Amino acid sequence: MTAPGTRPEPEPDPLLPARPAREQDERLADAVLARDRKATAEFVARYTDRIYSYICSCLAPNTGHAEDLVQEVFLAAWKGLSSFQGESTLEAWLLGIARHKIQDYYRVRLREPEPLDDDFAEREEIILMPEQERQMDERRMRERTLRVLAELPEQYRLVLQWRYWEKCPALEMAERTGKSEKAIERLLARARDQFRRKWQDG
Amino acid sequence: MAERKKKDRDFEKLADSVKLTKPGATRAPARLKARVYSALMLAEAAHGKLRDMAETKKAGRELCAFEELVRMAPVNRKLKSANICRLCHARVLAEMLEKPPIYWPHCPYAEFKKG
Repeated sequence: MTAPGTRPEPEPDPLLPARPAREQDERLADAVLARDRKATAEFVARYTDRIYSYICSCLAPNTGHAEDLVQEVFLAAWKGLSSFQGESTLEAWLLGIARHKIQDYYRVRLREPEPLDDDFAEREEIILMPEQERQMDERRMRERTLRVLAELPEQYRLVLQWRYWEKCPALEMAERTGKSEKAIERLLARARDQFRRKWQDG
Repeated sequence: MAERKKKDRDFEKLADSVKLTKPGATRAPARLKARVYSALMLAEAAHGKLRDMAETKKAGRELCAFEELVRMAPVNRKLKSANICRLCHARVLAEMLEKPPIYWPHCPYAEFKKG
């Protein structure tokens, strides 16, 4: 029941961050834009773990470039911070920038010439996860997947991660890399085949 | 086409069931936070004057001992807005070491190592 003379409280938009969090984010963004050194330190302290964690998950098992990418995300965020309108949380906004940086990383590497794989013929049978392997505990599955990915040529590893872990459609990958969709499908087929072989060998 | 979709589905299932990082967030190294902060301060300083020490304090943020000295010293406004961390050994140590031997309060580089 609303008291007379007062406006009813509007229904909160579920897509928007809660008001206190939004106000806190906007205040922090404003202070960073005002080039306040302590606000900048808070910005870094608050969000670096999350961005680093996300980038590592996209690059695993080879996380050698993760630190450089994190730095690029924050520098891009500083350049674009004036466009932050509080429509999402600051963390979600930064993760959006991180996602673009990761896609750029994949794109540049997938533009390089493909590795040679003369005896390629993608296997027909499904050999990825027989029942007993399905029952492998999560930790062992993760370790095995990381090991197999680490053994693949970089392009194969990245194309699989971009397509399946980042859930990017092949058509979009083609558009971003300037390759044809067929070329991406071919690269994916080779990558899947090598993954399967190494999975079976292991 | 159907065969390709089936192969796609196998890998989609694998990706859904296997997260490539350990459960829970991965903590960023403290020296990475120090490097990111230093890079941002350089970028901000290149863009214009930093908010001066007095305004920073007025905004409710604490200064480290050196910043406090600069705030109180009878020096010109330009110095009070300078990126003095650039000259501080705490920055150098924090960018290179995961647990730098710096302990004074309100130094961002000392704070980063606390996580």
